[in-house]
Amino acid sequence: MAVLHAWRAARVTPLGELHTPPRMTAVLLRLTVQIVLVASLWHGLYADTGTTAGLDRDQAVTYAVLAVLASRMRELDQYAGRDTVLQHMHFGTIVYWYLRPLPPQRYHALRALGEKLYGFAWALAGYTVCLTAGVVEPPKSAATAGVFVLSLLLGQLVLYYVLLVLDQMCFWTVRNNAAMLILIFAQNLLSGVYAPLWFFPGWFVTLSAFLPFQATLNVPLSLYIGRIPLSDAGLQLAVQAAWVVALHLFTRFLWRRAALRVMSQGG
Amino acid sequence: MDASIEVHGLSRTFHTTVRRPGFTGAVRSLVNPERVAKHAVTDITFDVAPGELLALLGPNGAGKSTTIKMLTGILTPTSGHARVAGVVPYEERERNARNIGAVFGQRTQLWWDLPVRESFAILRDIYEVPKAEHAARLKEFDDLLDLSSFWDTRVRHLSLGQRVRSDLAAALLHDPPVVFLDEPTIGMDVVVKEQVREFLRHQVTERGRTVLLTTHDMTEVERLAERVVLVNHGRLVLDGTLDEIRRKFGSTWQVRATLADAHTEVAPLPGIALLQRTGPQVVFGPDGPDAPTVHQALKAVIEHHEVTDIALDEADLEDVMRAAYVHVEEV
Repeated sequence: MAVLHAWRAARVTPLGELHTPPRMTAVLLRLTVQIVLVASLWHGLYADTGTTAGLDRDQAVTYAVLAVLASRMRELDQYAGRDTVLQHMHFGTIVYWYLRPLPPQRYHALRALGEKLYGFAWALAGYTVCLTAGVVEPPKSAATAGVFVLSLLLGQLVLYYVLLVLDQMCFWTVRNNAAMLILIFAQNLLSGVYAPLWFFPGWFVTLSAFLPFQATLNVPLSLYIGRIPLSDAGLQLAVQAAWVVALHLFTRFLWRRAALRVMSQGG
Repeated sequence: MDASIEVHGLSRTFHTTVRRPGFTGAVRSLVNPERVAKHAVTDITFDVAPGELLALLGPNGAGKSTTIKMLTGILTPTSGHARVAGVVPYEERERNARNIGAVFGQRTQLWWDLPVRESFAILRDIYEVPKAEHAARLKEFDDLLDLSSFWDTRVRHLSLGQRVRSDLAAALLHDPPVVFLDEPTIGMDVVVKEQVREFLRHQVTERGRTVLLTTHDMTEVERLAERVVLVNHGRLVLDGTLDEIRRKFGSTWQVRATLADAHTEVAPLPGIALLQRTGPQVVFGPDGPDAPTVHQALKAVIEHHEVTDIALDEADLEDVMRAAYVHVEEV
């Protein structure tokens, strides 16, 4: 199967980043500043409070810092590498995706896998430093850690499919900048990157339960800090898995339709 | 021998929405869009033999790129059928991909942030080319295109000429029997153009690849192609050798001769007209649709007259193609 032989496509982002040390320095600086500020903010917010929204100070700080680290798995500078679907549509180079014995959807998935693994390496390094420095708490138990890893994996799959839908939109709209801005904001807000979802009003939490975003980050982080008890983990994992299946089927349908659009948009 | 590329009655129609002018027009287009059919390619038929280089020519918007996109499997024809190396490209896209290589003008398939060699390695894996075979082919391409002088440079830092040479190599690394080149040398300097032409010639004559080339560069056509297919408004208007096209549209040659005897009678020659005479200086030109080629005319003049000096003026291929395009427009 070509997809097994084409593993090198997964190396594109990590290699591109390694060939550009200034980009790595910028990531390191940004991540450090973000973590310091976020940790300080939540320490400040809890200065006169014991428990809010079901979270104590350490839980809130851990959640917020882990959210910053996890965002590293999404916010890669793909534009600089000129390898976004948007750019390929713009430059007309999307045709090459359809001229190789590797289906475009598998190439896209391989590229994303490489990006996620590269981002994960950053997140893991940051987590190790934060854990050693006592900024974040370790998981309560091995079972919690295991469920968290599984939930994080499912969350990243959901996130991949959500971002894939945006990429696929380019086949119809050519540009997806506005949609991307809205989605990044929605994802940050509704997944818990800006603040743990537990701090939002009830109606907001109910609303977000019907959207895929909370499955990307809020669920794994809440499992990690114990805000969602292990006894509820099964249901949460099932919801995440359901999102993965639903989005997988939807994006598969869109790939088929997109193949008919290659020419009219940028071919 | 079976043709490498078979095209029979190929047509492609696009349906687009007409945008009406002005604000009111824009609103009307939004509420009640008017759809029109645009026939990009209509009933095109031609074959390309194995190891042949065919130039697919035509003015901008003639349907060349649409034809190539159908033959590469990117686009499905509205009617007609095509076969490339025995495969129907739009029905078996992945199988077809193994048989073809393609370069689309300045659009690169290389990875912007990576050194060229990394891009080659990714393509090697995608096409499942054995490492030894890949290394040998890379060496061959390096000898012809001088790739090693820049293949450790990231693609974003390459000059246009370096990038196109890399793209050509990338398109052929999996040893495809059929190659589609859509204006591959556009915007390149003469030195690199010649290097690319030499490379293509080598691929056709030594490797036996079938090449379908579209270009507006007539020097390229002259140096590479023996056969030309001319399309316009999506229709095939001419399929023949360069000589045939010259004969049909390039009848602007002149043979200038100085006769040994200024008073000798100029005998009439079939298909050759005496255009001008000043003492011993005579100028011949083509006469009628069956006029000979410039070389045949030269031979005839020398055989029938005693000349002390002779010169040729021949329209270059660009003039010929201009005449052909104008003729096609008029038809």
